[in-house]
Amino acid sequence: MNARKSSSAVVAEDVSKVFFSGQDPVWALEDFSLTLEPGSFTCIVGPSGCGKSTFLRILGGLEERTVGTVTMPDDGQQIPAAFVFQEHGVFPWMTVLDNIGFGLRMSGLKKAERTEIARDWLSRVRLDDFADAYPHQLSGGMRQRVAIARAFATGSPLLLMDEPLGALDAQTRMLMQEELIALWEQERKTVLMVTHDIDEAIILSDRVIVMSGRPGTLREDITVPFERPRTFDIERTPEFSELRSRIWNLLREDALTAEENA
Amino acid sequence: MSTTSTSLQGDREQRTLVAATAQRARERSLATRDLVLSISTPILLLVLWELSARYQIIDPRFFPPPSQIVTAGYEMILDGELWMHTAPTLMRLFVGGGLGAISGIVVGLLMGSSRALNAALGPLFSALYPLPKIAIFPILLMIFGPTETPKIIAVFITTFFIMQINTVSGVWAIDRKLLEAGAAYGAKGFDRFRFVVLPGAMPFVFSGLKTATGTAVVVVTAVEFTGATTTGLGYLIWNSWQLFIPEKLYVGLVVIGVIGAIVTTLLSRSEKLLLPWRRER
Ligand SMILES: Nc1ncnc2c1ncn2[C@@H]1O[C@H](COP(=O)(O)OP(=O)(O)OP(=O)(O)O)[C@@H](O)[C@H]1O
Ligand SMILES: [Mg+2]
Repeated sequence: MNARKSSSAVVAEDVSKVFFSGQDPVWALEDFSLTLEPGSFTCIVGPSGCGKSTFLRILGGLEERTVGTVTMPDDGQQIPAAFVFQEHGVFPWMTVLDNIGFGLRMSGLKKAERTEIARDWLSRVRLDDFADAYPHQLSGGMRQRVAIARAFATGSPLLLMDEPLGALDAQTRMLMQEELIALWEQERKTVLMVTHDIDEAIILSDRVIVMSGRPGTLREDITVPFERPRTFDIERTPEFSELRSRIWNLLREDALTAEENA
Repeated sequence: MSTTSTSLQGDREQRTLVAATAQRARERSLATRDLVLSISTPILLLVLWELSARYQIIDPRFFPPPSQIVTAGYEMILDGELWMHTAPTLMRLFVGGGLGAISGIVVGLLMGSSRALNAALGPLFSALYPLPKIAIFPILLMIFGPTETPKIIAVFITTFFIMQINTVSGVWAIDRKLLEAGAAYGAKGFDRFRFVVLPGAMPFVFSGLKTATGTAVVVVTAVEFTGATTTGLGYLIWNSWQLFIPEKLYVGLVVIGVIGAIVTTLLSRSEKLLLPWRRER
């Protein structure tokens, strides 16, 4: 039991990443370790530039780590992780429907099947009327929804999301948060999500990882105690406020030291 | 009370609609004016030319009045002389240019996707690119003799380099994020090429094609000037100068201009058709 569990977990151990900008090394990540249990929802918060995106990209195989080990679940999936990019990254030359079905197409699904799945996701992100539109005809928030649908549609058990709701307006954002909770509660994928929004992190996740400023290290690993299924009602509980101010204080210290150093 | 407020609202809606309609009408009349201006300016110039040539304000030996050029053109169409020169030029342009464009695009895509290939060929091509292709023409003549081959090759080389360089830039200009999105969703090898690299490079390919068309027309005309041929619009222009028949010279000029304009228009049209995802401009 235990062995099977750990074989499908995502494990990162002492991952460091150094970039070179010109001659000077930039430490984006330092000795960062994290284990994601299958079916868990984890959020990463941290000051801008602390290496959150870098860590996600390393997990997704888009960036090579300088040192450290990463173990991905070995379940024969063609796409190890479905990615939602900070700036959506949908293809401007594909219609909305083709964009959503892209991952499925790459894993070799027949046209009829992938269209059916893509249409289903299209309506789940409420873009039914835009199936044949091109991304430049959509608003920023709509494009971001296409990117989210594209990730979910792959059926990959691991979702890596880099500020997926960052570009949305407040109302759409809340609706998408609700939808994300519902989706996740149905499908129980392993989700790792970067966000700048502390409330969002608490509402959505089982665990909130707070990172320190550059170089990014793990500063605090907080378990979110709220029962599932969750609603926005938990925002009004004292536990929620307490958790929020705890995370906020952790981040603030970092922001202050960053300002002193600057 | 409520009826007055709805009628007020109706009023406002009505006024907004009226304003919008007026705005659109203004926009349309401006568009019509633009069209009229764009057509009437050249006509006005032609009329000026005609009059000043007739009244000898400009020397009609160098600038024959447009009516004479039209008559000369008409006669040349009737006796087949015009087609005799137009056909070979078109052939050289389309065979040389077509093959040059295709191979330039293919090589450009390969160089854009393979770092090693680009390292091997990039500097060499950059060094060759600014060479005036017309300067190589004598070498080609020496090798192939006064046949069609050297002329086609001259056009081929011209188009090839322009397309190769534009296509490589096109591949490099693809948003990194989109290449990563392709990779993240498992697009490898030929799929990556088909769904990400090729469509991503297309805008640059089309702007390259338009540049190449202009340059290819210049090169084919220049090659036909050289006396290595007795056909082609370039030859017609050159020969008319030597025999001092200015009307025919102008006919050749006009036909070359029209060919360039038609090809460029066709390219713009097919770009709109093939790349519907580009933001309308
Ligand atoms: N390709 C690169 N070359 C050089 N430096 C880089 C590169 N990518 C990221 N960095 C640096 O690594 C650090 C971490 O970047 P990263 O994008 O991971 O930050 P982040 O935590 O996602 O920030 P944000 O919250 O603003 O998105 C930054 O200081 C950045 O300048
Ligand atoms: Mg980031």
